[in-house]
Amino acid sequence: MASYDLAVKTEGLTRIFRLRKREARDGAREILALDRVTLEVQRGELFGLLGPNGAGKTTLIKILATLLLPTSGRAYVAGIDVVENPVEVRRHINMVVGGETSGYGLLTVEENLWMFAQFYGIPSREARRRILELLALVGMADRAKTKVYHLSSGMRQKMNIVRGFLTNPEILFLDEPTLGLDVQTARTIREFVRRWLEEHPDRTILLTTHYMHEADELCDRVAIIDRGRILACAAPWELKTALRQEAVFRLRVEGIADAKAALDGMPEIRALAQHAEDGQLLLDLVLASEEALVSVLARLSASGARLAELRKEEPTLEDVFLALVGRKLTEDQDEHS
Amino acid sequence: MSTVKHFLRTVVGRAYPRLVGVWREKSWLIFDVLFPLLQVSAYVYIYRAIGAPPEFSGFAILGGATIAYWMNVLWSMASQLYWEKETGNLQLYLLAPTSRMAILLGMALGGLTATTVRAAGVILVGALLFRVPLQVSHGALFLGVFLLTLVALYGLGMLLSSVFLLWGREAWHLSNLFMEPVYLLAGFYFPVRALGLGLALAASVIPITLGLDALRQLLYPQLMENFRVLPVEAEMGVLAGLAVLFVFLARGGLRFFENLARREGRLTLRGQ
Amino acid sequence: MMRRLREAWQGIKVGTWLGWQIESNWTEPFLFAIYAVIKPVAGVLILVVMYLVVAKDGLANPLFPHVFLGTTFYLYVVNVLSGVSWTVVDDREHYGMLKYVYLAPMHFYGYLLGRGMAKTLLATLSVLVTLLFGVVGLGVRLSLDDPKLLVGALLLGLASLAFYGILLAGVSLLIARHGWVVGDVVAGGLYLLCGTAFPLSLLPWPLRALGLGLPPTHWLEALRRALLGSGLHSELSRLTSAQLLLILVATTALGGALSVGIVGVAERIAVRRGLLDMQTMY
Ligand SMILES: Nc1ncnc2c1ncn2[C@@H]1O[C@H](COP(=O)(O)OP(=O)(O)O)[C@@H](O)[C@H]1O
Ligand SMILES: [Mg+2]
Repeated sequence: MASYDLAVKTEGLTRIFRLRKREARDGAREILALDRVTLEVQRGELFGLLGPNGAGKTTLIKILATLLLPTSGRAYVAGIDVVENPVEVRRHINMVVGGETSGYGLLTVEENLWMFAQFYGIPSREARRRILELLALVGMADRAKTKVYHLSSGMRQKMNIVRGFLTNPEILFLDEPTLGLDVQTARTIREFVRRWLEEHPDRTILLTTHYMHEADELCDRVAIIDRGRILACAAPWELKTALRQEAVFRLRVEGIADAKAALDGMPEIRALAQHAEDGQLLLDLVLASEEALVSVLARLSASGARLAELRKEEPTLEDVFLALVGRKLTEDQDEHS
Repeated sequence: MSTVKHFLRTVVGRAYPRLVGVWREKSWLIFDVLFPLLQVSAYVYIYRAIGAPPEFSGFAILGGATIAYWMNVLWSMASQLYWEKETGNLQLYLLAPTSRMAILLGMALGGLTATTVRAAGVILVGALLFRVPLQVSHGALFLGVFLLTLVALYGLGMLLSSVFLLWGREAWHLSNLFMEPVYLLAGFYFPVRALGLGLALAASVIPITLGLDALRQLLYPQLMENFRVLPVEAEMGVLAGLAVLFVFLARGGLRFFENLARREGRLTLRGQ
Repeated sequence: MMRRLREAWQGIKVGTWLGWQIESNWTEPFLFAIYAVIKPVAGVLILVVMYLVVAKDGLANPLFPHVFLGTTFYLYVVNVLSGVSWTVVDDREHYGMLKYVYLAPMHFYGYLLGRGMAKTLLATLSVLVTLLFGVVGLGVRLSLDDPKLLVGALLLGLASLAFYGILLAGVSLLIARHGWVVGDVVAGGLYLLCGTAFPLSLLPWPLRALGLGLPPTHWLEALRRALLGSGLHSELSRLTSAQLLLILVATTALGGALSVGIVGVAERIAVRRGLLDMQTMY
């Protein structure tokens, strides 16, 4: 195995997509998908990239996996430059994209996985051993001989994940591995990932997600990304602790349609997100201090709002994101791709 | 792990789904033999209606078997990478630390073997149904020409797979375009010389043109005396040249596509 | 009853519109050239070369105009009959759309009919182009001595093709894994059995009998009589043109009835077995 400390290292990584005329968005012919991203992922880490749809997560993964070239900046995987020497990089990595399947429906699960193993030069016997072992770990031991077109989509996704681990890569990229999966399957996958890394402490996983729980629960360190930029990068607890000096409240109010407008211009408010539900308005508030709550409530009441519920909460990564970006991670994007 | 072994493993790995498909989808076989056979029969009767000698029925049957290969090259080689892109497999192939040519070769060998089963079915049933004289005079030479044609043909398939990939969605139409016009130009159903020597030579970029011509010469030497494009040996030479050329270009083509796609972000569908 | 009729009408409208949207990339010059000009003309040219090579009198052979005409109008068979059945599979596999079509408040049968109409319209273009090529390029002489027969046969034949296409679409829906080729195989079979490019008398008798029972045989024969002044098949020579038309009326009506029945059944089975959103490509 090559000697390197940083599994992934990027310096000012930027990627611009040029659009054809008829694809232009709001008249813009260019999309800045990554904006001077500088990151370091230690060997042995489970590193998370948390950001909403369209943040640039997949773009970053694709560049690291040698499937896309950066517009500028540099990136090293296993200490190797991905632009200069992609062939060498590929020997150290694998990638799984959630929501995608792989292989051919006509083949059985085992045959499909075996086929991919062949592309990595793994002898058949060894491949078979690993396939059965990994399938058992994701609860698919009894499906080895099932043809893929008979599998449910969740099962296909699990098979695809097994494909990523099958080659025992030094660095594995998981792009939204639990995308669209039911809670139970997603949990199985998260447990599997965690366990694999415990058993292979010298391996590295870079995982992207837009589920904050996933990042919180799973990752050693998380980088928060939005609109192509890394806004923060630390362990989840560190990110949350940073918010603890501030105060996070959840409010449920009635009799008001737009609290944002009502609270506009209050310097104590670090971040605010609102969301209507059953005729009430749910507010997530990040305030500079607890004392500020009084003036916020006064202002709301002056605008005709009645308070239905008030809770003080421990900050979550969602609140971290809210404080950093000014909107919630899950808030509807103008971007749907 | 030696490079050669890795290359071979990749070839076998990619050929496997196609080989397995032959017996796993037996009912397809019926369709795949039936469809060319229907066409072949129609052409046999068209020839009979104008009193053509029985050798011409042989042309029709040979042409029908060739169609099986050509369809395989169009729909399972040329369009394949495009289709793999749509399903997300292409990026996984490119991600793997293996030779791209090995993957193409696996695709070709698998498809070629599977199609040979079908083509043999067409010839067998066709020859029996229409009692066509099929007598090969120079067995080894015949086999040689046949194999050479296949190598050149699937080499062309490999090359087209990159071209179609560049073409994107239009590729599907390109495959459609390469049906009737190619049946005409390559002389699937008649001695291609009938198109005139110039056109016949121009059509020789399609390996089937000279391949079929040489096979016809070996099957029906007397009849073909007036119809041949070139002597068999010369045609074999051209076919060998085409084979080398196509494989070489295919390699360059795929590399070109890969670089372009990495630059433009076209390896996968947008937003994935 | 009124509601069902309204839904059917809605289905036809939406189907035609959708069909046109999907097919209308034909209007791009490149695609128009491929499908309406190059492919049909190349198909005809193959026959031309075969005649030139073998027939002593070449294109002057009395059979040639019949072969040409049969092959040209056969374009309708490929486009409409196979086209509609192919549509079902394509909608499902390629666009993953069939289930939405089905969920929309419209009549499934109407939708298929609409797609068939769009196909017919487009096939007409390629038939016209090919006819023009035959007349100008190959010297085929067409007469218009019996316009009533021409119009009657054409309309009945097209309606019947659409019906049988819809019927086939229903069948394709059910034999999920082979849906792709059903249309092709049927089209190939009809080319052979309907004496499209040679006299039926050449076929062995069981096939000949089968061919004589197929609607397109009569249709092509009627068109030959209308455009060339005489038919091709001796077996049909005793029928008057009025009788031919009558047969067409009967088979068209039969096709209509059968297609409604079969699509209804297929639809029900497909819903029950979840075939509408099946993906079989791999
Ligand atoms: N191939 C491409 N061509 C044009 N734009 C692209 C392409 N791939 C991604 N984008 C755009 O780049 C931005 C970042 O996308 P992506 O990296 O896929 O985000 P994420 O994975 O975080 O959802 C989005 O605006 C997306 O639409
Ligand atoms: Mg993404």
